[in-house]
Amino acid sequence: MAINSIDAKLLAKMFLAGAKNLESKKEWINELNVFPVPDGDTGTNMTMTIMSAAKEVAAAMENGSMKEICKAISGGSLRGARGNSGVILSQLFRGFTKRIAEEDTITVVILAEACERAVETAYKAVMKPKEGTILTVAKGAAEKAKELAADENMELESFVGQVIEHAKYVLSLTPEMLPVLKQAGVVDSGGQGLVEVLNGAYDALMGKEIDYTISEVKNTQAGAGQMSSSYGVQAEMDIKFGYCTEFIIMLNKTFTAKMEKDFKAFLESIGDSIVCVADEDVVKVHVHTNDPGLAIQRALTYGGLSNMKIDNMRLEHEEKLFKMAEKETAQVEASSAPVQDEPAKEVGFLAVSVGEGVNEIFKSLGVDYIIEGGQTMNPSTADILDAVDKVNAETIFILPNNKNIILAANQAAELMTDKNLLVIPTKTIPQGITAVINYVPDLSVDENEEAMIAEIGNVKTGQVTYAVRDTMIDDKEIKMGDYMGIGDAGILTVGKDMEAITLGMVDAMCDEDSELISIYYGCDVEEDDAEALREKVEAAHPNCDVELQYGGQPIYYYVVSVE
Amino acid sequence: MAKVAIVTDSNSGITQKEAKALGVYVLPMPFTVDNETYLEDVNLTQKEFYEKLKGDADIFTSQPSPDAVMKLWDEILKEYDEIVHIPMSSGLSGSCQTAMMLAQDYEDKVYVVNNQRISVTQRQSVLDALELSKRGKTAAEIEKILIEDKFNSSIYITLDTLYYLKKGGRLTPAVAAIGTLLRLKPVLQIQGEKLDTFAKARTTKQGKAIMMDAIKNDMENRFKTDYTGMHLQIAHTENEEAAEQLKAELLELYPGSEIVINPLSLSVSCHIGPGALAIAVCKKMNYDEM
Repeated sequence: MAINSIDAKLLAKMFLAGAKNLESKKEWINELNVFPVPDGDTGTNMTMTIMSAAKEVAAAMENGSMKEICKAISGGSLRGARGNSGVILSQLFRGFTKRIAEEDTITVVILAEACERAVETAYKAVMKPKEGTILTVAKGAAEKAKELAADENMELESFVGQVIEHAKYVLSLTPEMLPVLKQAGVVDSGGQGLVEVLNGAYDALMGKEIDYTISEVKNTQAGAGQMSSSYGVQAEMDIKFGYCTEFIIMLNKTFTAKMEKDFKAFLESIGDSIVCVADEDVVKVHVHTNDPGLAIQRALTYGGLSNMKIDNMRLEHEEKLFKMAEKETAQVEASSAPVQDEPAKEVGFLAVSVGEGVNEIFKSLGVDYIIEGGQTMNPSTADILDAVDKVNAETIFILPNNKNIILAANQAAELMTDKNLLVIPTKTIPQGITAVINYVPDLSVDENEEAMIAEIGNVKTGQVTYAVRDTMIDDKEIKMGDYMGIGDAGILTVGKDMEAITLGMVDAMCDEDSELISIYYGCDVEEDDAEALREKVEAAHPNCDVELQYGGQPIYYYVVSVE
Repeated sequence: MAKVAIVTDSNSGITQKEAKALGVYVLPMPFTVDNETYLEDVNLTQKEFYEKLKGDADIFTSQPSPDAVMKLWDEILKEYDEIVHIPMSSGLSGSCQTAMMLAQDYEDKVYVVNNQRISVTQRQSVLDALELSKRGKTAAEIEKILIEDKFNSSIYITLDTLYYLKKGGRLTPAVAAIGTLLRLKPVLQIQGEKLDTFAKARTTKQGKAIMMDAIKNDMENRFKTDYTGMHLQIAHTENEEAAEQLKAELLELYPGSEIVINPLSLSVSCHIGPGALAIAVCKKMNYDEM
């Protein structure tokens, strides 16, 4: 039976199906990241964004009106937005639902208009929209929708199908629009994420057998309150192996083809979703298993381990809540007097940071509250708004310190009503440090904002990390496990020797005007090695002062700034 | 017409030699270095001072002894009718307080000016007082004019290090709040009695840019005059080369200015250490309207 319009319940079903489909492709989308840095972004961020909405949609689904479902989609995704693609996705939903909220049923024409509205809204949210991204895919789909809707005899199912086909086509063109994608041999990850959402929604529309676990479980747990979230729900889904286990083996002997085969067979015997990629001296391992210890023990026979990460997929959310509760308790203990009893100060600072050393530096410079997060865990708009609540000030400057968090911060600033939240768009930790150092209490908020934004342009940042897969970028061939020195504008150095890579990166960053080189070493670097590096940097740059600090950040062995 | 003498202390940066040439009197500030007492510019040169400071000697400043102050005044009053006494800022030292107390015994003869100046701005007050006395103003009138002019100046100082400020224990809460994990070069400001953190820099170049912006902002918004209505001055602690360089940069921005460079007085230097650089501005006084 052909359907010619979509009602509230079907919309909710389609949304949940889209969310589920995106979630199932999360890891794969993460792999599409152009920069092979270990920062599982896009898939995770988009999934967390849409799941935040799915939770609310599932709750409203049974008897919800179109307006209520729209509110759940728009509000939930807006608050849950993480990372750039997550924020853009949430803006697409916001624009889309604005158009349909007042309707009882959605027809082809309304759908086309809603797509157009979605694209308009998302473009506005991005300061410099870039083509070859999720935006382009959304725009292509909306244009196709408009074109198709002009045909009065257009059938809904066929319409949706053709729009999605076109979105896929535009996605396939993204490597032609962005050279970085082409060189890395991938399509845009955000665009792929959007297509996955549409695919899921289309399946639901076509009446394909779909497991609406989110909604069903939600219903049975209706009385359970806050705890029953999409993550709690996940446990009820078909998770056979509960622990997502990831690590890198630093080989102490040659990893022969036979060893690789044996190891893979072993992993298969204890779990699924196996990734085991060997390079010259490292092996990257990913497995879902019920006994992570077995995987680790076996891996230890090949060498030392690094970057170990084990998540309980069944309890991920509960864990997160627990952590938040822990943090809040700590917060209360730290402040002897309740915050609200003191008069609000004029200006406060909020920084996104990771690594105890870096956190301490921010605090010593007068930052009031640190949001833990960064490369691997982008805080959501809601996380930022929560943190803003903890800073008792009329105006709050927020330092995102990561290019992937700026949009979420901007979104938080827009949602904020009772405080003046100003985003200083710092893309790196050193930029954040520079911004807060340049704050002058005697000047007005506007003058400070202007000065801080100007100053962050005067500091150069370089970061040293390792590649998580083979790729080609900026004409440099990168092998998995290689060290990379990444500057503000791209990859500066690549190779097997971390110290040489770091020194080369610093050389590339310095010019005759450089005065100060600051090195923040990460949690995976020994102090002695960092000290040895400092001496070499000093010798290579006799005109500069060189300062070494413990940053304690994960993933980035060294973060270096030159000013 | 009463004959008015102008007295200041060595914080003004006016040397004994220069004082003679100008026709003013300078009280040397006493220093205790490793338990021995010296007098600034009398038996302690800048060079010796910095050698001792960097050698981690314990250096204390003290105010001129009441005895020295009164002896000088008595001597001067043999020749002059009145004295205008311009000590270093009461916000930084008790010298002013003591002088005011002593002056009670010199009723209508000694006027102590509590205008909270230091270094090059204190020097400017001395020059203004001298000019006003030459134009026939009485000591009382001069004191009044200088007090009214008190806030028409500001000083910004970029420190090379926080070490000496911490060592001396003379940290205002705002200065103490500066993070010490990172190597920072604080930019301090002196406005009247207030000596406080103005901003923070990571390099001397940044510090210089902050100071230059600050005086530009002061001229535009506080003093509401272009640079021709201001005295521009540079002070430094054992940092002559950087001071000359700064002068050249300032002259490019403000061509035709007469820019004085003075070593910062030692009582300030011993708290902030060598390598500091300061820019000061004072609004020019229109003597004819006084």
